Amino acid sequence: MTLRYALPLALLALAQPVLTQPALAQDPAVPAYADETASSGLTHSFTGEWTFMVGGGAAAFDCNGDLKPELYLSGGTSKGQLFRNDSPVGGALKFSPVDSGLELDQVGGAYPLDVDSDGNTDLVLLRVGPDKVMRGLGECRFEEATDWGFDGLDLWSTAFAATWEKGADWPTLAIGTYIDRTQEAFPWGTCTPNHLYRPKGKGWDAPLPLKPGFCALSILFTDWNLSGTPSLRMSNDREYYKKGQEQMWKINPGEPPALYTDKDGWARLRIWGMGIASADVTMDGYPDYFLTSMADNKLQVLAEVPEGGNPKPKFADVAFAKGAIAQRPYTGGDIRPSTAWHTEFQDVNNDGRFDIFVVKGNVWEMPDFAEKDPNNLLLQREDGTFMEAGDKAGVASFRQGRGGAVADFNLDGLMDIAVVNRNEPSELWRNTGGDAGHWLALMPVQPAPNQHAVGGWIEVKRADGAVIRRELTVGGGHAGGQLGWWHFGLGAATETEVRVLWPDGTEGPWQKVAADGFYRLARDAEPEAWQPK
Amino acid sequence: MMGFARFFGRLVAIAAIATLGLGSTARAASDPSDIMSNWYKLILELVRHTPTYSPPVAARSFGYIGVTAYEATASGNPALASLAGQVNGLTQVPQREAGSVYDEGAVMEAALTASVQYFFSNTGPTGQRAKAAMAKQLGGQAAEGVDPATLDRSRAYGQALAAHIIAWSETDGGAKIGNMGFPYSYDAPKGPEKWVPTSLIVQQQMPLLPDWGKVRPFAMPDGAACDLPPPPEYSEDPASDFYKEAKEVYDTTKSLTDEQKLIARFWSDDPMLTWTPPGHWIYLALQLLDEDNAPAARRAEVLARLGMATADAFIGCWHTKYEYDLLRPVTYIRRVIDPKWETLLITPPFPEYPSGHSTQSGAAAEVMNAMFGKDRAFEDAAHEDEGMEARSFANFDAAAEEAALSRLYGGIHFRSAIERGLEQGRCIAGHVAKLRMGQ
Repeated sequence: MTLRYALPLALLALAQPVLTQPALAQDPAVPAYADETASSGLTHSFTGEWTFMVGGGAAAFDCNGDLKPELYLSGGTSKGQLFRNDSPVGGALKFSPVDSGLELDQVGGAYPLDVDSDGNTDLVLLRVGPDKVMRGLGECRFEEATDWGFDGLDLWSTAFAATWEKGADWPTLAIGTYIDRTQEAFPWGTCTPNHLYRPKGKGWDAPLPLKPGFCALSILFTDWNLSGTPSLRMSNDREYYKKGQEQMWKINPGEPPALYTDKDGWARLRIWGMGIASADVTMDGYPDYFLTSMADNKLQVLAEVPEGGNPKPKFADVAFAKGAIAQRPYTGGDIRPSTAWHTEFQDVNNDGRFDIFVVKGNVWEMPDFAEKDPNNLLLQREDGTFMEAGDKAGVASFRQGRGGAVADFNLDGLMDIAVVNRNEPSELWRNTGGDAGHWLALMPVQPAPNQHAVGGWIEVKRADGAVIRRELTVGGGHAGGQLGWWHFGLGAATETEVRVLWPDGTEGPWQKVAADGFYRLARDAEPEAWQPK
Repeated sequence: MMGFARFFGRLVAIAAIATLGLGSTARAASDPSDIMSNWYKLILELVRHTPTYSPPVAARSFGYIGVTAYEATASGNPALASLAGQVNGLTQVPQREAGSVYDEGAVMEAALTASVQYFFSNTGPTGQRAKAAMAKQLGGQAAEGVDPATLDRSRAYGQALAAHIIAWSETDGGAKIGNMGFPYSYDAPKGPEKWVPTSLIVQQQMPLLPDWGKVRPFAMPDGAACDLPPPPEYSEDPASDFYKEAKEVYDTTKSLTDEQKLIARFWSDDPMLTWTPPGHWIYLALQLLDEDNAPAARRAEVLARLGMATADAFIGCWHTKYEYDLLRPVTYIRRVIDPKWETLLITPPFPEYPSGHSTQSGAAAEVMNAMFGKDRAFEDAAHEDEGMEARSFANFDAAAEEAALSRLYGGIHFRSAIERGLEQGRCIAGHVAKLRMGQ
């Protein structure tokens, strides 16, 4: 930081009242997180300069059959590393680096999915250079799947999403790309195309360019209008595009992709798009979106839902009204605007309401943005507004955050947090509870293909009768994603009903389950309780 | 006409020629005109990508960098008068050693490299890389064929000159920009006619740069030198002038033609997404200077006058804005006429009267009239890269008037702010026109 842009102390003092949030009677319970980075064995750094100023994704998934999520952390100029999850159930977090075949360099992101439906999770690695699809062999071993016809191209890949199009037995992949890295002296306006990989037999056809590309840093297949067919949402970095904006593609089976335009009702938005989280926060049945950026972040809900449905793709930003802006640090004394990256909706205090976790970190010594930029843990109140609790919960790290994963690593029903930092050690926090409510962990399973029911929905009834809905997606976040248990908080409820809306549109029956347990939800079967070992 | 691609294409071509050591179609490697041209093209991009660069801040930098380029030229050209002693607060610039030889390209390269490095010190990592690449490229180009002693002397002089102007700039009250220009606290005036926030962005709950009217101008005595009479008296009476102006905005925006929508977007020049309104006029000047194959002295004078005029325009405009602190059309129209009314453009986060676009366009056009002639027709391809076709203008006043009126089409300004803004700009440019330079 140059002295010229240092903030006068007087300004800092003036700003403090603005930052303070008064405690309200309805404030949610704050979870307690313990920093177990040092004791866990998770020793890792995402390293690099210009081509790794973005990226740093984390992938959480099980690869040894114990249904505890392992962690693969991208390494940038260092090699990516798989960490086996050796945490005892309910105990301290323990991770062990293992040789897996995933030790590649130039990796900025990673997303798990079971491509070939063989029961072994595969991993897509986003790289500066050719991307790789790594076939899971079981027991946390991987090899490059050279027989699936995947052309990894030679671009700067930064975003990923996957879906199974209607009738397909092989997933459709979308990969978002960033700047033409050969244009380092004048890179503006050089965003490269994104690509769609559609199935061809047991593999993929040649990648289909999605033009224009506007430097996507997060993409997500999501059924935003409940049509039964997900669209491809793209959050783009306005720093580098010309003519650009946020984008959403219609991806109808058997048809060429087509962009939503203003004629469809698509409203132009231009942000430093960096991450997407999705969940039905407002509980109106439709997915809502949290878009990370620099300074203000966006919480988007559909602007209007006509009676009978069929809304237009026009979104209203309610972040300001709901206190979910997270636009500058709330602790640490640095009040310059923030820089937000990975984000997820998860219920971290099990009160039956989605909370928001945001990883923060300066891009690269940008003096107009906070250098000490704490992660956000925005807890949702009963009235739908959000309360910042990152510092109280103990996750307000000031490191240069990028990717992350909010997952129950020790299978105790409480969501833990891993964060990947750029040129600094990654971090790991265990959720030790606090005044947490009851919970469920659910895993829909259907016959191959697409056993994990990507594109479907889980619905869970809350004690007050409201239905928590969660779309089952692969993608979004910042450069990393998860595959495994879907977590729901239940508040005071000790039992409830759940159901799955399967990707083909079939509505599963409401089924009773007891709280505080893990259930496999097989299609056409009763929920199967699973006991972690 | 020179479109965006061709505009920047020339930069790349020059760089390639320099790398290959071929000079058959380009000017000499150390031609200060090329140095200026290339740095300014990068500057326009850096304006877009540097977070503090709202239009007033961008104009200020154009002013100081323009003066730097001009003094680098004037110090080696007896026909040009230094601005020291003419513009506010600029003391005598460093003098060249009598009898010593200087290379004009090396002087210009060193001066602009130091200047751009300073004024864009806070740009992002990609901008830093681009600056370094440009400095390396142009530094190598400027050194070609120049004997080491002359090169060292020239560079030292260019750097000393830049340091002098940078030190001067730091005393104007506009050097430190925090929180992207938005104060952390602000005691907002109260009253139905007063500005209120119109945005859902947290930073923009405070108005942009409320003290900018106190920044030291270049040529006019102070921010109040071209102050305006008050806007029409606030009233919600349909018979009042204020209501009529609001109704004009409402009715116009309800029946916008495609051409009017295009005009609104063409001149919008939003910060962080474009090179801003003063950058738009700098682009036009560079385009015309290239068309005229202008020599370094003329190029430097045009860029200096235009930079100073737009910088002073924003100071004067901001002085008046915060003097009257008038609410925006979106606030009034939703309150009085139609609560569901939407604007075509996003309403900027600061008071309405006068229009900043209008003031600075009026000032810029006046400079361009003086430097290129009142009847110079041109095509403006500034937004070709954004997919907007070039627009043709018979003269600079026509362009300024269209830029000003674009704000009414966009639903963000009343007519008084537009017409009086243009008048204010012309008044401000008059102070710049009095400066003795080379014209």
